[in-house]
Amino acid sequence: MKKIAFKTLGCRLNQYETDALASRFHKGSYQIVNYNEPADIYIVNTCTVTNQSDQKSRQTIHQAHKVNEQGLMVVTGCMANNHKQSLLETPGIDYVVDNERKSSIFSIIESHFRGEHPDPEGFDEDLFSYEPAFKTFHTRSLIKIQDGCDNFCTFCIIPSVRGRAVSRPVNAILDNIREVLDHGFKEVVLTGVNIGRYSFEGTSFEQLVAKILELPGDFRLRISSIEPDGFTPHFFELFQHEKLAPHLHLCLQSGSEAILLKMRRMYTAREFRQLAEKLRYRYPDFNLTTDIIVGFPGETEKDFQESLQMAKDLRFSHIHTFKYSVRSGTRAERMDGHLLEKVKNQRSALVRKLSDENKLLYFEQMAGKPQRMLVERISADGIARGYGQSYIPLRTKIKGLERNQFLDVVPDSVYFGKETAMWTKDLRKTF
Amino acid sequence: MKLRSNNDNQHQLLELRHLTESTYVLRIDRRGLSFRSGQHILLGEAGSIHNREYSVYSGEKDDFFEVLIKEVDEGLVSKQLKKLKPGSTLQIEGPLGFFTIEPELVDSGKFLFVATGTGIAPFHSFVRSYPKIKYQLLHGVRKEEEAYERNAYPTEKYKLCTSQDEKGDFQGRVTDYLRQNPVSADTHCYLCGNFQMIHEVFDILEMQGVPPHQVHAEVYF
Repeated sequence: MKKIAFKTLGCRLNQYETDALASRFHKGSYQIVNYNEPADIYIVNTCTVTNQSDQKSRQTIHQAHKVNEQGLMVVTGCMANNHKQSLLETPGIDYVVDNERKSSIFSIIESHFRGEHPDPEGFDEDLFSYEPAFKTFHTRSLIKIQDGCDNFCTFCIIPSVRGRAVSRPVNAILDNIREVLDHGFKEVVLTGVNIGRYSFEGTSFEQLVAKILELPGDFRLRISSIEPDGFTPHFFELFQHEKLAPHLHLCLQSGSEAILLKMRRMYTAREFRQLAEKLRYRYPDFNLTTDIIVGFPGETEKDFQESLQMAKDLRFSHIHTFKYSVRSGTRAERMDGHLLEKVKNQRSALVRKLSDENKLLYFEQMAGKPQRMLVERISADGIARGYGQSYIPLRTKIKGLERNQFLDVVPDSVYFGKETAMWTKDLRKTF
Repeated sequence: MKLRSNNDNQHQLLELRHLTESTYVLRIDRRGLSFRSGQHILLGEAGSIHNREYSVYSGEKDDFFEVLIKEVDEGLVSKQLKKLKPGSTLQIEGPLGFFTIEPELVDSGKFLFVATGTGIAPFHSFVRSYPKIKYQLLHGVRKEEEAYERNAYPTEKYKLCTSQDEKGDFQGRVTDYLRQNPVSADTHCYLCGNFQMIHEVFDILEMQGVPPHQVHAEVYF
C-alpha cells in the first residue's frame, strides 16, 4: 500500500479540497500518513495570498524532500496558478496542478504509477467534482459552495489564481451535506472564496443557508468567513435558527473610509459599523471576528488609528492581521505610498495586542452562558477540547467523552495556554 | 459563470476616436459578449501580460464595445492601446463588477451620477442603455475640453463643473456644486472617478440624508 502525506496552507477552501482529496486516496487504498513521515507521495496545497504564504509554501515543499527525497512531489493550490513556471523549474517537484484541475490529482497519481507520464493540463477543469470528505483532518465538515471572486479588490491576487466566481448547484450542496451528516459529522462549515456572492439559478446565499437549515438532523451550520456586503434583513433573521452558529468572520480589512476606497472594497466603514451594530443589537453575544490588513499603500497613522478604533468599538474577539504585501499584477502594486516593513510590523503588533484584549473581554462576557461544545480532541491527560456554537475554544475535564459528540457546558474561567480558551463545567451539574 | 478560453477573449479593434490630445475611445467588436451597463472589462493587447480595467462606455444594445481611455503620463497600457490601428487584436477579460442599476429601478428611480474625468464612462453607458432613465449628471473636469462627448446628454441633465477654467456650467468642483445643490434623500447616487471625490461625496450625501445603501461607487485610480 502506498503512503501519501498532505499539507495544506492558507484558507478553509484549501482545507476542504485537501480533505476531499485525502478521502479519495483513502478510498483508493492509499495509506495516509503525517507530513513529517516518510511517504511515497507528498501533496502540498499551497497559498499565495501574501509573500509570507509563498515562502511557507516553498519551505513546506522543501521539508518533504528532507524526509524522503524519492517521494513524488505534487504541488497544487493558488501558488501553482500564480508561480507555475517557477515551480515547474524547481528540482524535485514532479507535478504542478492548478486549482482548476486539483480534483483530478487522484487520477494524475494513478496514471503516474501506471507508468504513464500524465500532463495535468490534459485533465478536465472541474471546480466541484470532489469526493465527499469523510477522511478529514477535522471534526467539522467543510462544504464548498462556490469558487472564485469577481470583486477584484486592489490588493488581492485571488481572482487571478481562483478565477471568476462560480457557484455550485444547490442540489449538489444539499446532497453533499446529507452525505456528511449521514457519515456522522455534526458541524458543517460553508466555504468558498466569496461565499456571500453565492448565486445559482436564482438561489441567493441567504436562500441557500435557509435550505440547509431545513435539513433534518442534529447538526449545526457555521458560515465562517464572509464579505460584509449584499446582506438583506432576512440574513439577520436566519440567526434565530438554533442550528445556525452565532458567529461570523466578517472581513473588515480597514476601518478607514479612504483606505477602503483605495482597496476597492464593496462597502464603506460606516456601513460595516452599522451592520455589526445591528447584529449585536439583535444578538448581544454574537461573536464577530475579522481580518485587518495593515500597511496598505498610503495608509496614514490616522487611517490606521481608525482601524484600531473600529476594531475596539466592534469588539472583534479575534483579528487575523495581515501585513500588506505586494502581489504582482494587482492595482495596489502600482499605487504610491508603499510603507516600510518596520511600520507594518509596528501596526501589526498593535492589532494583535488589541485582538488579545478583545478576546479576553468577549470570554468574560460569555462566562456563565451555556455553550454546546463539539468535542474535537481528547488528550492523554483526559482534557477534551472543542468549540461552542459561538466559536469559543472550550476545554473540559469531564470524563467519558468521545470525539465528535455534542456536550452542553457552561464556560466559567479563562485558560491561558498555547491557545487562550475557556474552562467549562458540565451544564447538567449546574442545575 | 464559465471561464473563457484564450481564443474566446480575442476582439478586433474597429476604430480609435480621439476626443482630446490625451483621451480617446476604442471601439471594439463585441462578438456577442454580454454585459450590464456599469461593468468594466480588463483590456490589453492580445498576447500581452499587461491589461487594465476600463468601464464599458457603450450601451448594452450596441453592436460594439467602447471604452474611454485617458493616456496616463507614466502609464504603460494606455500608451500601448493609443498606438493601435483598426484591425489590431485586443484581449478582454470580463465583464466584471457590480456598479450596475437594479432593473426594477431603471424606470422608477431618481438618479444622481457624479463623475470626474473619464469616470463618466459608465454613465454614458447607462444613458445609452436606458434612454428613459431620470438622472442628473455632474461631470467634474479641469477644463471644458474634457467634457467628453457632452452632446450624448440633454443639456438640462448634464452639468459640467470645471475647476481650472470658467467655461463650464459651474465653476468649481462637483463637490462644491453638490453642497450648493442638495439632492433629496430618495435619490440613488452613483459616483465614479478619483477616490478623493468619492470620499468627499460620501460625506456630503450622508449629510443630505441619502441612506448608504443608495450610494454606489466605482473608484478610478
